[in-house]
Amino acid sequence: MGPSRPRRYVVLILLLCGFGLILFRLVTLQVLQAAELTAKADRQHQKSVTFEGARGAITDRHGKVLAMNMEVPSVFGVPTALENPLRVARHLAPVLHIRSDEIEKKLRQDRSFVWVARKVLPEQGRQLEQMSLDGIGVVMEGRRFYPKGPLLSHVLGFAGIDGEGLEGLERRYEPHLHGEKRITILQRDALGRTVFPKGLAEQPPAPGHGLTLTIDEVVQYIAEKELEEAVNRAHARAGTIIVLDPQSGAILAMAVSPRFDPNAVAALTPDRWRNRALTDTYEPGSTMKMVVAAAALEEHLMTPGTMVFGENGRMLVANTTIHDHEKLGWMTFAQMIQKSSNIGAAKTGMILGEQRLYRFLQGFGFGQKTDVDLPGEVSGLLKAPKEWGRRSLASISMGQEIGVTPIQMVTAAATLANGGVMMKPYLVSEVRDQKGHLLREFLPQVKRRVVSPETARTMTTILEGVVTNGTGTKAAIPGYRVAGKTGTAQKIDSRTGTYSATQFVGSFVGYVPADAPRLAMIVVIDEPQGEAWGGTVAAPVFRRVGEQVLNYLGVSPNDQVKLAMAAQGR
Amino acid sequence: MKMLTILAGLILVFGFVWERVDTIRLGYQVERSKAQKLLLERERDQLQVRFSSLTAPERIAKVATERLGMVQPQQGQVVTVHVRPEGVPAPSPSPYEVRVAKNDSPKRLSE
Repeated sequence: MGPSRPRRYVVLILLLCGFGLILFRLVTLQVLQAAELTAKADRQHQKSVTFEGARGAITDRHGKVLAMNMEVPSVFGVPTALENPLRVARHLAPVLHIRSDEIEKKLRQDRSFVWVARKVLPEQGRQLEQMSLDGIGVVMEGRRFYPKGPLLSHVLGFAGIDGEGLEGLERRYEPHLHGEKRITILQRDALGRTVFPKGLAEQPPAPGHGLTLTIDEVVQYIAEKELEEAVNRAHARAGTIIVLDPQSGAILAMAVSPRFDPNAVAALTPDRWRNRALTDTYEPGSTMKMVVAAAALEEHLMTPGTMVFGENGRMLVANTTIHDHEKLGWMTFAQMIQKSSNIGAAKTGMILGEQRLYRFLQGFGFGQKTDVDLPGEVSGLLKAPKEWGRRSLASISMGQEIGVTPIQMVTAAATLANGGVMMKPYLVSEVRDQKGHLLREFLPQVKRRVVSPETARTMTTILEGVVTNGTGTKAAIPGYRVAGKTGTAQKIDSRTGTYSATQFVGSFVGYVPADAPRLAMIVVIDEPQGEAWGGTVAAPVFRRVGEQVLNYLGVSPNDQVKLAMAAQGR
Repeated sequence: MKMLTILAGLILVFGFVWERVDTIRLGYQVERSKAQKLLLERERDQLQVRFSSLTAPERIAKVATERLGMVQPQQGQVVTVHVRPEGVPAPSPSPYEVRVAKNDSPKRLSE
């Protein structure tokens, strides 16, 4: 006997109700709430991640790493998932070395994601992972490291927290250095693991390209060490040294004092990281006589033996008096440069005339950028002859009424060292991909011929005299022939608008070995206290850097003879 | 015949399921390998940064002078000896070969 008819109806109705409920729920989930629930599921199972290829490394000419990226932990919080932000902040504070009230403030924001601390030390990240705090997570991000600390900091510049180049080479070569950015959707399982290796078919984002510099880190270190010591010894405001290879224009060192550590720039002002070698202009003073003399020789207006009268140390020009540091009478043109006579230089400038002098100043690169591959270079100050006053011709010949940058002045000296041919100064020699394949090569570039080889040779002889018998004797490097010129310039007093009696710029620019130059170098010491002559504060620095670098490059005193022979045979 | 068809069908189904499962298993394995590669790369980078900072000229000079008592060589204490095997040409005067970018022939200023 089967169940009674009423009981069958009850079971049927119950079953229908049950199926009805299931059907209703299905329609609700699959139709009415379909879009919302699909999105929710995607949020749980899919993870959108921005991948960025590592920023390219920067190395010196021998492959020594000067800047590179490293993956480090960044700490984030999910404020909406936190029950007690104060307690979490107190746990985080001692590990991150951030005040707990600052962390708490971040964690109390009405947001689903906040950065608590970015790019912290790997050890801090490990500690946080061990603590396993709810609502606090750690992700890895690329952080820029400068393993040599302050070395070359003004040239390298630095990258920001998001990895973009902000200063120096990091900024100039941003398009090459930055890695590819790509957003990828990852599928995750219930445990949060990536389920399907979508990346199997995809290549990871390409890393940025690496730069090889012309800089030699040892030469750079020598230059920075000697500059720092000189600036401290003279209680100077700042200083600059540039060392370059005159044959190619390749910059071997560019040192600026005071230095800074690009690993910790947050607390510094832009003034500290400004690259004074190409952003600061100064009146060069007597180093400009080197240019004026070369112009006069090139135009056959003077020879090294031409006699010049020193007016016994005083000469009237445009109702003003030009002085020499000593009473000079008759002297040869070469002696005039060696003794750094202002009156002799002014007379030479007057013989040259405004147009010719201006043309040679332009030819030697003043009043225009050298186009060195760094951002922020200025052109200096060179007025057109129509803007010159009655005294300008004499003043400019002595290195006044003209603003130059250290990079301009060393490039001018390197032109004489290179037989009269100006090379473009440059810092980056190669761009390579992460596998080391050469993508781009920067070769030395000839800018122009400025003076003839004969003029350059004659100038070298005259400038050697500056070091052997003139104002630059402290630049002499025993065993080597040094050519160079000292410069001492008064700075303009910003309060009075006239030349200051206490603020000077002492400099020395030259090259060595004079007969087959391997190095062209400028040393500029800004506002040295006490004795401020270029021959006293800058020339000794030239000697110290020069002898160490020549030693390092293996140019022994005997080599100069061989090199001279080789140079003649070319 | 019927049995053979059912057997073939079962083998196909089994093969399909096995392939799917194995793909997922390999996927996890690839992910683990990738994670390990990432860790090794991180470690390599950390070692590279450490190596670079330890070989900084400033640090080497400090250790040499302060810890080992070394001093800069004085004038005449350094003699460079160039030893060249037979048949090797003499080095160029410059330590770096100078190749020049091709551009317009240099202009003479006075022209």
